[in-house]
Amino acid sequence: MKLFEKFKYISISTRVSILLGIIILLTMGIFSTFSLIKQKEDSISTISSNTGQLSQTIEKILRVSMLKNRRDDISLAINNIIGSEDIKSIRILNHDGSIKFSSKRSEIDKNISQNNQLCLSCHSKNDKKVKGNIKKFKHFRIDNENNLIYNSLPIFNSSSCYNGICHSTSEGSEFIEKEKSGTNSASLSPHDSSQTILGFIEIEVSIKQIISDLEKTRIQLIFLTILFAVIAAIITYFSIKYLIGKPVKNLVDGTLRVARGDFKQEIPPGKAELGLLSESFNKMQKQLMTTQSQLIESEKLASVGKLADEVANEINNPLTGIIIFSESLLKGTNISDENRNDYETIRQEALKIRGSIRNILSLTRQKKPDFTETDINNIIRHSISVIEKFSSFRNIQIITELPKTLPKVSADPDLIEQVFLNLLLNSSESMPDGGILNITSSYLNDDKEIEIIFTDTGSEIPGAVLHKIFDPADNSNLENFEKIGRSLTVCKDIIEMHKGKIDINSNGTGTSVIIKLPPYN
Amino acid sequence: MLKTIKILAIDREEIILKSIRKALKGDTKINYMVSSCTTALDGLKLIRSDTFDLVFLDLVLPGLNGIEVLRRIKNIYPAIPVIVMSGFSSSSIHFNSVGQGNYSSETLNSAAGFLLKPFTIEEIKSLIASVLTSKEQKVK
Repeated sequence: MKLFEKFKYISISTRVSILLGIIILLTMGIFSTFSLIKQKEDSISTISSNTGQLSQTIEKILRVSMLKNRRDDISLAINNIIGSEDIKSIRILNHDGSIKFSSKRSEIDKNISQNNQLCLSCHSKNDKKVKGNIKKFKHFRIDNENNLIYNSLPIFNSSSCYNGICHSTSEGSEFIEKEKSGTNSASLSPHDSSQTILGFIEIEVSIKQIISDLEKTRIQLIFLTILFAVIAAIITYFSIKYLIGKPVKNLVDGTLRVARGDFKQEIPPGKAELGLLSESFNKMQKQLMTTQSQLIESEKLASVGKLADEVANEINNPLTGIIIFSESLLKGTNISDENRNDYETIRQEALKIRGSIRNILSLTRQKKPDFTETDINNIIRHSISVIEKFSSFRNIQIITELPKTLPKVSADPDLIEQVFLNLLLNSSESMPDGGILNITSSYLNDDKEIEIIFTDTGSEIPGAVLHKIFDPADNSNLENFEKIGRSLTVCKDIIEMHKGKIDINSNGTGTSVIIKLPPYN
Repeated sequence: MLKTIKILAIDREEIILKSIRKALKGDTKINYMVSSCTTALDGLKLIRSDTFDLVFLDLVLPGLNGIEVLRRIKNIYPAIPVIVMSGFSSSSIHFNSVGQGNYSSETLNSAAGFLLKPFTIEEIKSLIASVLTSKEQKVK
């Protein structure tokens, strides 16, 4: 478990290459083991079939010598065959287990054990009972300890064996004579016709060479397997390091950089999965950069707005004193008074300061929109109820035409009200001596838009001013309409935030501001 | 005999109170009697001790929020018109109120008029006139 825990901390390239190495070692190891076993089996079966053929050949050659009882010929032939390195010995034994001929002189006339594998292939252990069929006779035995293969061929009885041909020959008669006199070392009794098997030819073949060859191959295979596993692991390690490790490191570096607030550097993009990830990371980074700069901008605006509010408040109070007291001084002086112009200048300049402060406040006051399902008519009514309380609306008649059913819009009511209040204040300023202000709202079926129109009977705004009145960069040259321009810039920003449009027309009879907003959903 | 109008002005800034007094002094048609104080609590005390035709009230006051003072005045004397003064821009009167929930927005609606600082003699006098004659506007 501990090892497994530690494995988690190793890099992915090392982990995958170690795993691959282990897999190759296991699969190739199992494969080589099986193929070596198969190879050994094949070699042994080839040797077995070869020795089988050899023993049959020997039996055919020696049968004549056996029939003629030419014992020396048999011994000579056996010894001559033991020429090749692999054939260790050839022996001929009778059915009782007594070795009659052998290339190893020392074992001639000795008996093999009754528990010898050769006997046990037909007979039960310690018992001469026949248990199996001769057809199932095992021709081959393998002695794994000494790396030997035994091929045993039964010598079957035939009429030529028991019909006494051998005994009619001179060699045969001589042999029988010796047998009778007891001078013959070999015990040979005449063959009985009831006997099926007279004896066996057994060839002993060494498989030492094959085993040592297979061992060599095994060592080579082990070496090759390890070499192959190591090479594959190394190749895998570097491929993963380059194909996965490098882009992942780039991504990690990128996220760390972004965490530090650095959005400038991009990650090299690619086409495959990791490349796409890098690309989407770059996109995210760009988006973050934009959002951050927007946040900074709006925070700047908010703090500037707050500062402007505070400064304006501090200035407004003493400015009230300056305006009121200068106006009071003006009232108390005659037209001929030489100070009158000075008082008038003080009053005019103080009023200019007032105008500037109000402009700054209307420009800096921006908030984040909070869209909800909104009834435009309600906002119009509320705006009017607020604005009516200002002295500047004393002589202005407000006429509204608001339909009872109007589709709702998706809007921030506070921001929309700010637009309406700005427009209402603009109108009141263009009609200092009073007038009529007409406010209508309607749903345009063709365009699927809600239209709100503010029309006043105020002084005409010249065409040259009108076409650049919404442009904040240009409205420093709006002459007397500078203030209207500034508040309209704010209005345009807010309406565009709501995916709407704002337009202005002006002629001799008055000025109209037309706002179009999309309906809610 | 001049018509007398009793006015109460509540503002933490002495210069505003002085300015109101100066602006309304020596009118040829109306005799304005201006009482003033700089805190909300003094204002509420004064309004209980005397009868006023009109109240000028600043929204930013020490001790008690101007909106709360307005609510209490309207509770005690719903008939007295209150003119709310503010140094903030016109739309900010509205925003300030919205920021404090519907309750204060409704309270603010109970004001008879708004006076933006700084103001002129003409502005304060015409506002008083319009509030007191309760100007009628046709809103369809």
